Amino acid sequence: MAPSSALQQVLLSPAELSYLHTSLASTPPIRPDGRTSRQFRPLIAESNILPGTNGSARICFDDGTEAIVGAKAEVEKSRPVFAAREEEGEGEEMAEGQGEGGERGRNEWVDISVEIPGMRDDDSMPVFLSALLSEALLADGGFTRKLWINRRFHWKLYIDILLLSQPLSYPLPLLSLTTHLALLATRLPRLKSEKDEDPMFDDDWEASVFLFPQSQTAKPPATLLVMAVSSNIIFDPSKEELAVAEVVLAVSISSSPSSFTPESEMDVGERKGGSLKLLAVRTIDPPSRLTHPGVPNVVNTATGGTATDNMEMAMAREEGVWKSPRGGAKRKLIAEMIRKVLEKGGVGEEVLDGLEAVGLE
Amino acid sequence: MPREVEPSLNEKQFFVKALEENLRIDGRAFDQYRELDLEFGDELGVTDVRLGKTRIHTHITAEVTTPFPDRPFDGLFTITSELSPMTSPFFEPNRPSTTEILLSRLLEKTLRRSGALDTESLCLIAGQKCWSIRADVHVLSHDGNLVDAACIGVLAALQHFRKPDTSTEGESVTVYTLAEREPVPLSLLHFPYCVTFSYYSSTVEEGETVTLLDATLLEEQLREGSATIGINRHGEVCQIAKLGGVPLDAVAFLGCVQIALVKVKEISVFVSKRLEEEAKKRDKGGLMAELSAENDRVS
Amino acid sequence: MPLDTSTYSLALLRLDGRRWNELRRLTAQISTQASADGSSFLSMGNTKVICTVTGPSEVKAAPGASGRGDEAVVSVEISVAGFSGVERKRRGKGDKRIYEMQTTIATAFQATLFTHLYPRSTITISLHILSLDGSLLATCLNASTLALIDAGVPMRDYICATTAGSTSSYSSNDEKADPLLDLNGSEELELPFLTVATCGTEDEVSVLVMETRVQVGRLEGMLAVGVDGCKQVRDILDVVVRARGKRILEGSQL
Repeated sequence: MAPSSALQQVLLSPAELSYLHTSLASTPPIRPDGRTSRQFRPLIAESNILPGTNGSARICFDDGTEAIVGAKAEVEKSRPVFAAREEEGEGEEMAEGQGEGGERGRNEWVDISVEIPGMRDDDSMPVFLSALLSEALLADGGFTRKLWINRRFHWKLYIDILLLSQPLSYPLPLLSLTTHLALLATRLPRLKSEKDEDPMFDDDWEASVFLFPQSQTAKPPATLLVMAVSSNIIFDPSKEELAVAEVVLAVSISSSPSSFTPESEMDVGERKGGSLKLLAVRTIDPPSRLTHPGVPNVVNTATGGTATDNMEMAMAREEGVWKSPRGGAKRKLIAEMIRKVLEKGGVGEEVLDGLEAVGLE
Repeated sequence: MPREVEPSLNEKQFFVKALEENLRIDGRAFDQYRELDLEFGDELGVTDVRLGKTRIHTHITAEVTTPFPDRPFDGLFTITSELSPMTSPFFEPNRPSTTEILLSRLLEKTLRRSGALDTESLCLIAGQKCWSIRADVHVLSHDGNLVDAACIGVLAALQHFRKPDTSTEGESVTVYTLAEREPVPLSLLHFPYCVTFSYYSSTVEEGETVTLLDATLLEEQLREGSATIGINRHGEVCQIAKLGGVPLDAVAFLGCVQIALVKVKEISVFVSKRLEEEAKKRDKGGLMAELSAENDRVS
Repeated sequence: MPLDTSTYSLALLRLDGRRWNELRRLTAQISTQASADGSSFLSMGNTKVICTVTGPSEVKAAPGASGRGDEAVVSVEISVAGFSGVERKRRGKGDKRIYEMQTTIATAFQATLFTHLYPRSTITISLHILSLDGSLLATCLNASTLALIDAGVPMRDYICATTAGSTSSYSSNDEKADPLLDLNGSEELELPFLTVATCGTEDEVSVLVMETRVQVGRLEGMLAVGVDGCKQVRDILDVVVRARGKRILEGSQL
């Protein structure tokens, strides 16, 4: 669960909240900025902006929030003991085979740090965001395998994510998309040495290899923010929309290699055979779950259990007054939200294709 | 945290009026230092500098440690400065104020980065053992111009200090106590002192800037710009820090550097005179010359 | 050895092919971020800085904030990105060098901005260093100037900064030593240099920082070259600002 401090409260009056809620709950939803429910805000994206990094990207959203991501790789000695013992135990075929089994990555080879202005490094929000982003990146183990050089060495990839503006809306999608773009642009020098020699690399940057080659289908993950108001599912919510959200999900997806379809992954929602793969889902506490200032105790969700006397009265819907939602989300609704992200021709595909186009330019 | 008391409007106006008539409140000339007094402690490497009402106590200590792995041939030299609440209630322990950080940065740049102390001479066994020299600067009373005073204090203390003599045989180092062998002085390559200028522009007529040396606390609070120049008596500028403040003509600034050079020569003479007096006091019956194993440094 | 003196004396070209009085490529953009009151992106060679300005805004009730009621307080935050250097390094916020740079930039602008027009307020300059290759303080000062102009804070004049060095180190008493303009990272490691910032077109030095040892006679040449470089920087910044002003004017006529 995201820490509640992750979302700032928007100072809107009950009437304003009610107006927002009703317009978002109507079919089709009417969003304050006139977007359709699955439309993203316009954004400016560019990649490869910093020559000093292995890969970098910058995304600027329409509302002025801006993020820069730089990925830097360094050669590091692998810790030998652990790996060696495991392999011996696992049998001989690996040794006589091509050593494919050794190409297993470790999660500690990737280091993600998030910097948000006005927050300390150990504040809950940066810590939570970096955990969420690395979770998606490391989910299937395929990513760390790319960092394997040989039995003795590996790449250590540092991904530094900088939010340059104040976190006006929940910055997760911005940071995730920027990271995605930076990883698409990340290149590592071409390996010249063979097998388990000390690694030697080609000096020519032109000869370097992409971490995610364009020819392969494997792509870095992206995390999208999806919210629901009554039964309406809305993508890329703005700060005001989040204020009346009932459910907010952070859905991490990546395009799966066509060779296998993961069935064992968290099987939430029906997957319609799309080429997208669900990596992680997290619920995010929307600010509507927090108690707004000036809310009487009877309707305070935090004291929900105790203040039962006037429960009926409190729950009674009143025209023009917004009440914060109570209770959890319906499983069906969550399943539907995930399906909308994953379906063929859905939002997920659209976003990934759009970002890839940026990298190609 | 209590806020620093700002000078009152009366004080401000009085100061400005006086400045217009080419007067400083304590009657000094614009380029005159306050009375400088340097005392040495009973222990080696302890100095007590007084510059007017500013008083700074410096203590040098040495211990054997391992050098940094990236610089195996260099000993360590650290300067720590502390402005304790004793100096003024506006300084909080464990929360360095701007004054304190700038003081330690300036000392660091003037003394350490310019290579005043030969750190290579502190090496005992490359990569394994070296001397770590530590200078603790304690500001006992703050009445302006801490940097200049602290710089004098540290340099005098470094010259006064003697580290225990050692001998190295293969991998083992023997450190002799003061009773066994006469301790040896540190190897100092040059003596950079700091001179701080304070600038006042809006107080006087348009386009004119008044420059004061050795400002008191009140003068520091009222100044609109300052520059600290670290320079040794051979005319090598080690450090210049004009950190913002009122703009100053480039040519006038070069003049300041020349003034600084003159002042530093004066300070150097004063410090070496005091050190000589102190050495005479300690050297009872001329034993020192006989006991010393040190060769004269060939420069 | 980044600046091999022997090749330098032959061709009078530096390692990156520049002559002694040449600036690196300086590119600047203004108004890069919509959500900030003022913003800029400035690169001097491979040193790249993004600057955003917030304010003048109400004083945050932070403890220890100087409560000067009669003028605005300029505060500066610098964050160095982990990927900015050659090797990835995370810098703590408590770095004294960074702190010194913050105070330098803050006091420089405190004297140049018309802070008395905004009593009881703060102007926050935040600088993100994306790439690091020498002349860091100078780049930060230039970027701040642009962002403050974008934010519309009245100021006396541009603060423009460059670095200037000298071709021989302090030990050699080389009389023929040439001053150099706008040093890159490897030159800064090897040669004595100073950072100079001027305010306006006359040689009014607002910031002058030198951290290396140099003969006093060498100083004049370095300072002269630096001040001259500041004028070149000023011209470049002026073009950027005027282009931006023109665009705004065109936009308002529609």
